[in-house]
Amino acid sequence: MSAALVEIRGLSVHARTEAGEAHILRGLDLTIGRGRILGIVGESGSGKSTLASCLLRLLPANISRVEGSIVMDGTDLLRLGPAAMAEWRGRRIAAIFQDPMTALNPLFTVGTHLVDVLRRRFPDLSRGAALARAEAMLETVGIPDPPSRLDAYPHQLSGGMRQRVVIAMALSVQPDLLLADEPTTALDATIEAQIVDLLGRIRRDFAGSMAFISHHLGLVAELCDDLCVMYGGLVVESGPTEAVLARPRHPYTRALLDCEISEGDTGRLVTIPGEVPPVTADVEGCIFATRCPHVAPACLAGQPPLASVGPERRAACVRSFEILP
Amino acid sequence: MTILSGSGRTARAVASRPGGALGLAVVAAILVAALASPIVATHDPDALDILHRFAGPSAEHWLGTDHLGRDLYSRLVFGARVAMEVALFAITAALVGGTLLGTLAASVSAGWERPILVLFDVISSFPSLVLALAAVAVFGPSTLLVMIVVAATLLPHFGRVARAQVLGVRNAPFIEAERLLGASETRIVLHHLLPNIAGPLIVLASIDLPVVITVEAGLSFIGLGVRPPLASWGTLIYDGYAYLSDSKLPVAVASAALGIATLGFTLFGEALRDAVDPRLDGGR
Amino acid sequence: MRGALRYVGARFVTTALVVLGAMLLLFALTALVPGDPATALIGPQATPEYARRFIVEMGLDQPWWRRLFTFLSRLLVGDLGTDVLSGRPVIQVVGAVLPYTFALTGASIGLALLLGVPLGCYAATHRGSTADGLLAFSSVTLIAIPSFVIAIFLLLLFSIYLDWLPVLGGGEPGNWVDGGKRLILPTVALGVGWIGFVARLVRTSMLEVLGENHIRTSRAYGLPDRLVVYKYALRNACIPTLAVLGVGIGRLLGGAVLVEIVFARPGLGRLIYDAISTRNFAVLQGAVLVVVVAFVLTNLLVDLSYSVIDPRIRRQDPVR
Repeated sequence: MSAALVEIRGLSVHARTEAGEAHILRGLDLTIGRGRILGIVGESGSGKSTLASCLLRLLPANISRVEGSIVMDGTDLLRLGPAAMAEWRGRRIAAIFQDPMTALNPLFTVGTHLVDVLRRRFPDLSRGAALARAEAMLETVGIPDPPSRLDAYPHQLSGGMRQRVVIAMALSVQPDLLLADEPTTALDATIEAQIVDLLGRIRRDFAGSMAFISHHLGLVAELCDDLCVMYGGLVVESGPTEAVLARPRHPYTRALLDCEISEGDTGRLVTIPGEVPPVTADVEGCIFATRCPHVAPACLAGQPPLASVGPERRAACVRSFEILP
Repeated sequence: MTILSGSGRTARAVASRPGGALGLAVVAAILVAALASPIVATHDPDALDILHRFAGPSAEHWLGTDHLGRDLYSRLVFGARVAMEVALFAITAALVGGTLLGTLAASVSAGWERPILVLFDVISSFPSLVLALAAVAVFGPSTLLVMIVVAATLLPHFGRVARAQVLGVRNAPFIEAERLLGASETRIVLHHLLPNIAGPLIVLASIDLPVVITVEAGLSFIGLGVRPPLASWGTLIYDGYAYLSDSKLPVAVASAALGIATLGFTLFGEALRDAVDPRLDGGR
Repeated sequence: MRGALRYVGARFVTTALVVLGAMLLLFALTALVPGDPATALIGPQATPEYARRFIVEMGLDQPWWRRLFTFLSRLLVGDLGTDVLSGRPVIQVVGAVLPYTFALTGASIGLALLLGVPLGCYAATHRGSTADGLLAFSSVTLIAIPSFVIAIFLLLLFSIYLDWLPVLGGGEPGNWVDGGKRLILPTVALGVGWIGFVARLVRTSMLEVLGENHIRTSRAYGLPDRLVVYKYALRNACIPTLAVLGVGIGRLLGGAVLVEIVFARPGLGRLIYDAISTRNFAVLQGAVLVVVVAFVLTNLLVDLSYSVIDPRIRRQDPVR
């Protein structure tokens, strides 16, 4: 893996919930390579979205404690003051969100959204120049008839078009890190394919890194250079996409892969038995132990660290080579 | 009924809210003053003492006396009784009438819905005080009239909430189940709809109560509501206002009492609303 | 644009219906006068000849449906009848005092918006702070205390103890400075409740908006708080705020009547009050009708203003 842009170490997030104190991220380690696309996969409840919120430092109000470090280009984002962090957003980091239907303000035109974001990023830009650039960005993301779309309000556009507008906003600020938090989950299958296609196309011109969060392994395989699998608030496996998919080194990745394959081949849905341990529970041993078919006494000693299991590959399983030869 | 059985808990919830305890205290004090006026008062509210007119506060007259030497404190206490009578009558009438009309608009055939809603719109388009003034002009000032007019202006409030609640509850699964078991419409309305919509309506009643007190006091203040010599907070201000050059005390005392009362009832109503159902916050 | 036109059209029809309803109600009130209408209307002291002349003049000898027809057809051409005391057309009498009431209510709403909106925004963005709590409590206090009670205290304090401002009356016509000074206390009396009312509405609506996804988008792109709150969120928060403000205008008008009386200001309130004391029915009817129409028109205006703010109402046609 090339030099890292973002290094997350021991990220731990607690939240207050009705059921009590929840441990949403349990000391997670993750690296985003410079100029690479990292796919982050996991079931719902694995902490993917909280991870995205941490990177943006836009945390929900019920978050009570955040520990660890998120170092980007030598700066620990978790140690920045609110004003300094705001400087990073929309300049160094940009984001695409899950629900395009609500991501844009219904009372402002597409043009206003883009121009405000552009002029904040490039303060020297005149209004006219910003409009011209906004138009060009709409063109780039494949929106037909950009001049008239600048005057359109979000409700006049379809979900797919709205997501393209958000992607145009993200690209227009030329970020070092582009976060895409399940950008296609809310869209139907054909539109999803178009958006994935678009994201694949823009990566050629996009110099920065991208973190693509999804619960859909197939999508990630198609788009991403690297892969990182999350489970119960932890990264359990990471490495180059092809290598991980060819030979998973964690039983959870294996299980995810099996689900995906059987779904594709026979249409029969294979599910992983059991459930993710509740976020409010204290977990003694390996986080996956309750659902792992290969669980052994050694697994209950403690959460295995994310250890090297090959070139640029890491997995958090003590029995990795025993069970996945 | 569910409301009554939970009243102890609700009262605690009200008292635990900021402002709620203060509201509860004011409401309790006013209720005691209203229910036990002769005991709470120190003097006959109508007893004249011309020699001691415009007296300042003293051990004998806690809040001083008015232009006829009547004890202001005692008049305030009896004023609470008048305010509560008017408020309870008007609110009850509006609650009953509004619930009936609202339920009618929501439950029976659709034919009733439009006319009832238009009626609500027309009534709401009259500022309540102005409607009251118009009525007073025609029928002459009287306490009963004030009560009727205020009840009429509040009717749409209760009617709309009742209608919305009934519409919301009517198709709930448990009602549907009752219907399948062969329960009559009357039974469903009496045993299920009304108990279920009672909470929001009672909350609304407590929120509208200070509005009623204000309208009554406002009308009485300009001499068009409760008639003297009956002591209402509004007539106390009215009397005091006429003799402002002699003494500021009666006006100040009566206005302060009215202000504290409306504030207390408002705080109480809001705490009650938050305790019963936080989602009812309409920002009113 | 067709959708918008239909919306505006429907709104006008509702408004017209409500005004018609108000007219019918007013008519019904006079028709309901207990006992002999002439005695009730002009008082028992009137001489029999005067009463007879009055009955004929007012058309009280006609059947009720004919009177209703006359009443409505006159109203349609803007004829509110004649003030029997001064002999002037009612519309002139009402028109003469209307500016005073509009100045008072307008200034109060202006004051409330000027202070209430920023206070509400501040409270929403500093949720849970001491200032927020303080503001919440003072809002309730200001809303709860009747405006005429506030008027009385202002009167006692400023005019009688401090003697700072001229208090009573509306000032000489044409003297703007004096008129303005005399407007200050009534405006404050009527407006402070509304400051709390507006602040609270804005806070509630703002909190709701600030939780929405598009605000997170704005923040994720580093837009400064000022822009996010006052440009993006405030416009969204305006919609529910306006809806409730429109309804609140009724209470404001009622309050204005009493405040005018406390400060002995000319205006619709005083006019109605005097009309009642002198049993001047035509003036009373006209003034009440004007208040109702003003209230209904304000609400119509509020409704139409949504379509200016919200493009989803403005243009219902999807882009080609």
